[in-house]
Amino acid sequence: MANADGGAYSYSLTVFSPSGKLVQIEHALAAVAQGTTSLGIKATNGIVIATEKKSSSILIDSSMLDKVSIICPNIGFVYSGMGPDFRILVNSARKSAQAYWKMYGEYPPTRVLTQEIASVMQKATQSGGVRPYGVSLLVAGWDANRGPSLYQVDPSGSFWAWKASAIGKNMVNAKTFLEKRYNDDISLEDAIHTALLTLKEGFEGQMTEKTIEIGIITVPELNSFGEQEKEGGETGRPKPAFRKLTEEEVRDYLAL
Amino acid sequence: MSHYTRTQSQQHPTQRQFNPYTENGGTILAIAGADFSVIAGDTRQSEGYSIQTRYAPKVFKLTDKAVLAVNGFAADGNMFVKKVKQRLEWYRHAHSKDMPLRSIARLIQTMLYAQRFFPYYVYNILGGIEEDGTGAVYSFDPVGSYEREACRAAGSAQSLVQPFLDNQIYFKNQTPVLGTSHPTHLPLRHVVQLVIDSFTSATERHIEVGDGVELYIILARGRGTQGLDSFKDVQELTPHAEGERLFVLRRELKKD
Amino acid sequence: MQYNGGSIVAMVGKNCVAIASDLRLGNQALTIATDFEKVFPITDRIYLGMAGLATDVLTLRERFRFRVNMYSIKEEREIEPKTLAQLVSSTLYERRFGPYFIEPIIAGLTDSSKGSQPFIASADLIGCLNFAKDFVVVGTAEDKLLGVAEGLWEPDLEPEDLFETISQTLLNAVDRDAFSGWGAVVHVITPDKVITRTLKGRMD
Repeated sequence: MANADGGAYSYSLTVFSPSGKLVQIEHALAAVAQGTTSLGIKATNGIVIATEKKSSSILIDSSMLDKVSIICPNIGFVYSGMGPDFRILVNSARKSAQAYWKMYGEYPPTRVLTQEIASVMQKATQSGGVRPYGVSLLVAGWDANRGPSLYQVDPSGSFWAWKASAIGKNMVNAKTFLEKRYNDDISLEDAIHTALLTLKEGFEGQMTEKTIEIGIITVPELNSFGEQEKEGGETGRPKPAFRKLTEEEVRDYLAL
Repeated sequence: MSHYTRTQSQQHPTQRQFNPYTENGGTILAIAGADFSVIAGDTRQSEGYSIQTRYAPKVFKLTDKAVLAVNGFAADGNMFVKKVKQRLEWYRHAHSKDMPLRSIARLIQTMLYAQRFFPYYVYNILGGIEEDGTGAVYSFDPVGSYEREACRAAGSAQSLVQPFLDNQIYFKNQTPVLGTSHPTHLPLRHVVQLVIDSFTSATERHIEVGDGVELYIILARGRGTQGLDSFKDVQELTPHAEGERLFVLRRELKKD
Repeated sequence: MQYNGGSIVAMVGKNCVAIASDLRLGNQALTIATDFEKVFPITDRIYLGMAGLATDVLTLRERFRFRVNMYSIKEEREIEPKTLAQLVSSTLYERRFGPYFIEPIIAGLTDSSKGSQPFIASADLIGCLNFAKDFVVVGTAEDKLLGVAEGLWEPDLEPEDLFETISQTLLNAVDRDAFSGWGAVVHVITPDKVITRTLKGRMD
């Protein structure tokens, strides 16, 4: 027996413990639970995902830190857990989205992209010589078929769709808070404020535009033909449904 | 050593050959009615992807009752028409009358076959009125095979126009209503409209067809101008209404 | 393309589309079969036609069946005509330097929840798409089809008139093509049904 936590089973990723657990995955979840809190709320006309951005020193230029990432024009990620692992997943998600675009001439629906990234994470729980990703993801996306949807993906590779969810250090309290605040006909503006209020619970230090990050899905408007506006200006790229709020925008929301 | 310096003597003589023919594009078309004949051709002349001129006639009046359209190598075509005209003039001097249409057709065969081993690179369509007053169309291959027909297209858009004519002139693949039958000859107005439509269609889909179209209309002796009145800018080429009457109708085509 | 012969045409009508092909399968000038269909249903409202090398037609039919099935399972919905066109294009371009010798045509209606718009497209053998608004043609009688279609087609044809137009276009075009003919199959796709008719043509 190596130690009290998981015994001999805790080192080999691909071996079940007698109780039916893969202990490394539990450890990965523990890593997530140490990460800063992130949350997402689905509204009637969009989605908000937000996170707390903590830097270990005041000397760090936090404007270079990116915790909310755009994957393709209609999908964005936020995470709790290990930053370096997140960047690997963002990279592979972006490649996957572009590969889908190359094949079908449109960006993937949220569900498909979520499935693909979940299978990347699952592989890390079954392959030799690797460890699971130390992150949980919140995936916010919009597609013509299902409209706005919000998913959570865990290190095990399991994923769920949520109306609102939180991950990371303060997830239990945040979820309880969201359960009280959430209703089915919340607007995006209200959802953004709810997100800020939820983050404020258990926030360590000052909440400013430098210490939080917000990304939103806005449902693309219908044009006069009842179709979603796809081509944007000279580039012909689709009008983004996901975007990150600028520091100025975050400051304005905080001021309200 | 000498192995490397022998290149000069190893050079092979290059073969060069003069190609006496060019394909100048364009399309011609003729339709015979009961007592009239319509012969048409576009006026674009091209070589490869270059347009040499937007107005080079391919349809020529031979006599008051015979019109010849030539398509293929323009230089050969023009020379051929010149020689046919010369032979017709000699005929007039010898016989004090115009050569009958069927005789012109046979003359053209003889003249083309005379060049059997250095042919005029030209497809000919002869249209006019026979001695019995019927409208006629004769079509030739470059070495003189010929046939009297009711309609014929030739040239670069032959493959586009001919099946359309099969359908609209010969009523191919159309079953008449029980107890009725398809007309053997179409009215003049209808034929002229079909010819114009054929050229508009060919212009739309073939790069070598366009700029303008010239329609020659020959009416049998004593036939009124009914069917022609609905078209604007019809110019009469015959000086009086006795005998066969010859008209020309010009229409612009797209120039791109 | 001349090896087996065959031609396909698709046309847009008013809230409907039609796609038609001949039935000949040849080995050069020798006719081998007169019941070789080149148009296949992809969904209830999308048809895909392929003209060209017959072995590739059959191979690609299975390949597209596989890819479309995978798509519907993954996405939990039917593929849209526009998406299928992109899929066909990328599948063909995968073989850019050793292509399948076929030219595809796609005809279908968009999802009824999006208004059931008519859609047609064609591509060359390496997948360069052509989204035409009126009609598309491929195959050995392509020039003849273009000529006749340009003369006969008009906008906003009702299903029965569209059927007559596409049938006349195909029959008269293939009658002037030695590599195509021997009857035809016509599919007219409307929002509530697909009308499929087999036509007899000149058998020579």
